Amino acid sequence: MKMRFSQMLVSFAISLGLLTGLEIVTSTILPAFGWHEYRLTFNVLIIIFLAIRLDSPVVPWMIMGLQTVHSVFSVEGWALGTFAGLIVMLSANYLKEVLHLTTAFMTMFTVQLFQLIWYITVTLIICLKISNFDKFGLIMWSFIPGSILLSLLSPILFWVLEQVWRVPSDGGPRGVEI
Amino acid sequence: MKLIQESSKTKIVNNLIVGIFAVYGISQKQFNLGEPSLFHQVVTEVVSPVQEGLASSRKSLSSLWDNYIAIVNTSKENSVLKKQISRLESDLSSMEEIRKENLRLKRLLSYTEEQSYQKVMAQVVGWDSANEFKVIRLNKGTRHGIRTMAPVVTDQGLVGYVYRASENYADVLTILDQNNRVDIVVERTRTHGIVEGVFNFKCALKYITRNEPVEVGDKLITAGVGGIYPKGVKVGMITDITKENFGMTLSIEVVPSVDFDKLEEVMVMIPVEGSVQASFSPSETGPLTNSAVVVPANAAPASQETKI
Repeated sequence: MKMRFSQMLVSFAISLGLLTGLEIVTSTILPAFGWHEYRLTFNVLIIIFLAIRLDSPVVPWMIMGLQTVHSVFSVEGWALGTFAGLIVMLSANYLKEVLHLTTAFMTMFTVQLFQLIWYITVTLIICLKISNFDKFGLIMWSFIPGSILLSLLSPILFWVLEQVWRVPSDGGPRGVEI
Repeated sequence: MKLIQESSKTKIVNNLIVGIFAVYGISQKQFNLGEPSLFHQVVTEVVSPVQEGLASSRKSLSSLWDNYIAIVNTSKENSVLKKQISRLESDLSSMEEIRKENLRLKRLLSYTEEQSYQKVMAQVVGWDSANEFKVIRLNKGTRHGIRTMAPVVTDQGLVGYVYRASENYADVLTILDQNNRVDIVVERTRTHGIVEGVFNFKCALKYITRNEPVEVGDKLITAGVGGIYPKGVKVGMITDITKENFGMTLSIEVVPSVDFDKLEEVMVMIPVEGSVQASFSPSETGPLTNSAVVVPANAAPASQETKI
């Protein structure tokens, strides 16, 4: 299935809007109700969707765009997540023949798998930056509870993103070719 | 076939370009101090009012609940509080005498080394959306005098320092963050150490040697070295000490004195250039104003009369 460039821009703009809304939920609404310790990193989920379901040369630039918006809500910045997103995308390219998101369980499992790849990458870079690998376990552990919850939410958000990107929900890896 | 090859080439080129940008960005990134880009400033100014509005709505709802619905036992509580006020007033009177004596003695000794600060009150409107960073967003920015590296406190103790600031908003790296290290002194033993965040809303006290007589329950205050935090601000309390079979230092867990779960308002302390301790006197500075007032570095930040 092919998508026009103008349609892709519209879908991308909607995704950015969706990310902004979800970032506000994570950074303001949930902490206001006492949810402080674990964050729902929706940027990771949206990037995993793009990496798995879109087959296009512009996906790296989209990841960069999403991370730039994310950097407004986090001191993490855009670069760390962009790099992790590229690693996830390359991993998805290698695994795309075996990835079939036909059931909610498969979607959750796949999202959890790619979140692990993401967080291992991010944790390694952080440890490298702060020159302290003793904290690797602690940083990784801090990601786990939030990532599990995000995986549980992933079938719903993937369904929403499938509508935004007009991807057929047959679970195939090559959803859109731009 | 040729088309597929060209598409693959484009993908590789795009991946490489974005990858190089990302690696360069990571190499330039500092996790302990940030400079907001123009894009960041513009988007923050657009999005943060929404965050501020939502934070205020929650506060109003909470206020409605606290002031009108959950007021059972108020009369009993009132009577207890009246007794407490009476006792505290008596304490305050003797403390005031000690404070005046302290000021007189410091002047006598020409004690002019300590930095004075402007106080800017701010409301917490959001938290960092990434797991690995413990950063809060305030509804005051450079327009209100806030500068990067300015210490942030509450009446309970130390919160952190300003990491980056746009015109109307500022991000604060809290002491819960792994990238924030605070020089402290154990109040009872005067032992120096470093406090840093360890993710689960607790901190770790580092570089305390095994023979130091620190105990569970010891209070920690800022040491005033390092050029960011003023001296004498409460940081936390030791809650657990583990002596490993190896190593020269103790493994110490610290609970921050600030309750970050209920953090709503904070005070940003902006250093006043050229100010000295000897110039401070309540009668000279007058009452607290809406935006700022000069106070000594180690004065208790409890009197927060400024409006947010």
